[in-house]
Amino acid sequence: MNYLRETAVTGKGISMKRLAIALLATAAVSPALAQEHRELGAHEHGVGRLEIAVEGSRIAIGLEAPGADIVGFEHAASSAGDRAALDQAIAVLEKPLELFVLPGGAQCVVTEAAARLVDEEEHEHEAHDDKAHEGEKHADHGHEAQHTEFRANYVLTCASPAALTGIEFAYFKLFPNARELEIRLISEKGAKSFEVGRDAPALDLKGQL
Amino acid sequence: MILRLAFASLLARSLTVGMTILAIALSVALFLGVEKVRTGARASFADTISDTDLIVGARSGSVQLLLYSVFRIGNATNNVTWKSYRDIAARPEVAWIVPISLGDSHRQFRVMGTTAEFFVRYKYRGGRSLAFAQGRGLGDLYDAVVGADVAATLGYSVGDPIVVAHGLASFSEHADQPFRVAGVLAKTGTPVDRTVIVGLEAIEAIHVDWKSGAKIPGQTTPVEAIRQMDLTPTAITAAMVGVRSRLQVFQLQRWINQYPEEPLLAVLPGLALQELWQIVGVAETALVGVSAMVVITALIGMMAMIFASLNERRREMAIFRAMGARPTTILGLFVLEAALMAAVGAMLGAALLYAALAVAQPWIDAAFGLWLPLEPPGAREVPVLLGVVGAATLVSLIPALRAYRLSLADGMMVKI
Repeated sequence: MNYLRETAVTGKGISMKRLAIALLATAAVSPALAQEHRELGAHEHGVGRLEIAVEGSRIAIGLEAPGADIVGFEHAASSAGDRAALDQAIAVLEKPLELFVLPGGAQCVVTEAAARLVDEEEHEHEAHDDKAHEGEKHADHGHEAQHTEFRANYVLTCASPAALTGIEFAYFKLFPNARELEIRLISEKGAKSFEVGRDAPALDLKGQL
Repeated sequence: MILRLAFASLLARSLTVGMTILAIALSVALFLGVEKVRTGARASFADTISDTDLIVGARSGSVQLLLYSVFRIGNATNNVTWKSYRDIAARPEVAWIVPISLGDSHRQFRVMGTTAEFFVRYKYRGGRSLAFAQGRGLGDLYDAVVGADVAATLGYSVGDPIVVAHGLASFSEHADQPFRVAGVLAKTGTPVDRTVIVGLEAIEAIHVDWKSGAKIPGQTTPVEAIRQMDLTPTAITAAMVGVRSRLQVFQLQRWINQYPEEPLLAVLPGLALQELWQIVGVAETALVGVSAMVVITALIGMMAMIFASLNERRREMAIFRAMGARPTTILGLFVLEAALMAAVGAMLGAALLYAALAVAQPWIDAAFGLWLPLEPPGAREVPVLLGVVGAATLVSLIPALRAYRLSLADGMMVKI
């Protein structure tokens, strides 16, 4: 998709026919180019990443956790048991208020919640744009040992955000393999990072929002 | 009574006592000074940028990106192509984006190419905007806006010509295309004070006849021709980004960090700064530790001085005892003397620091961009001063106990 847009931008003023040829050429070339692009994000078992953005009464939360933390394995789900474990994990991950317990006084409700499992090497924008490429990717490393990650995005709306004085992480109770969450918080007061571990599963937000 | 005695006793030995007090004063001044610089540096770093959600540059480290783009410390490893910049600017999350192009210099100051929007978007110290002390912003291609320190150091005012040098410490100048000072910024206490700001197109313009870092010999494109050229840059050094909604910051950051066409890095300035403090924190602790050692050394010096005085004051103690002073009085006298010395030393140290600050404050600000506020001793300093006096009292107990025992023994002896 991005290659096409580039061509369209630089091809400004070129005749339609030449543009069409250029488009065809990039379309043909793009899987090859994408194949050349290799990149791996950091992946540490036991450590998940949590991003919290607060604006007014709305809170956006993004969670990235290694498959090992959530379900205990990262291989492709082969057995019925594996698949059931994944489905159950997704179901749990889609209830953010049970993972991250907020003070009742804040009266937060979930407006959006979505969780899914992704391959480490998969890049969101590539994988969804290019069908052929996606197929190739799966074929390419279906047999290799790979890392998987759960990603979840939530949007909460809180009636009285002033009452948000802290977060309790039931997350660690629900997922016994998770050891730590690296938290990045952004609010009116600026950006801050924290580390919350299994031994002290709470974050004090007094004066942070 | 005992207080007067202690005072008089100290006065009688004013030279050694004075030296001891001086040593304590200097160590206290050093300790407080280190604290002051440490907190001052943190505050001035934290105040340098606000209201910018993301800083985008070539992929390196978040601290490095923050340092070269905001603090003009160090250099970029790579540039960001204009195409990527346009791609980021076109994202729906982006409310505003300001490009920054670094790499040239004027005398000891760095030259930064940017757009006029920089003057609107750049905020410091909790949301304050840049203000012009003189003149106005960038209008013409060859307009330059100078920071307060640049204007003060080089004596510039509106209308003066400026010649930009190629690179950071080089002798080749872009003499064929002089700039004109269009505005002087008011003092901010940020690196902007030490920056010459020109248009992004101007950076392109002065490099028209340059190739691979050197001027093409014999080739001089006339200024009129350059003005007609398309001066869209091919690359920038970094960009400051503001998002429409805070909720989208992380989403945009992820998009930029995973941008497949070019390895880019987007950082949240606040988090990068926090990371920087984690690195610097070790050195800070070491500095505080060393200066604490100096205070301890001074106190041990005081103890040694008291020990040395024990012998020469043997007769004095014997007289006190003969006049009816109890051994505890002798003990009290020594401890009180030590506490007095430490108290005077601590106060003198604080006074020394404030005097030095008052004198050096403008110079430190100009040389290092570090503003150390002259505040009355607060929650940080008072415990330190009291701690020094307390430690001195404690340390003096060792020689005082010896004097106590000696005075008992001496009282028993026939001859001394």
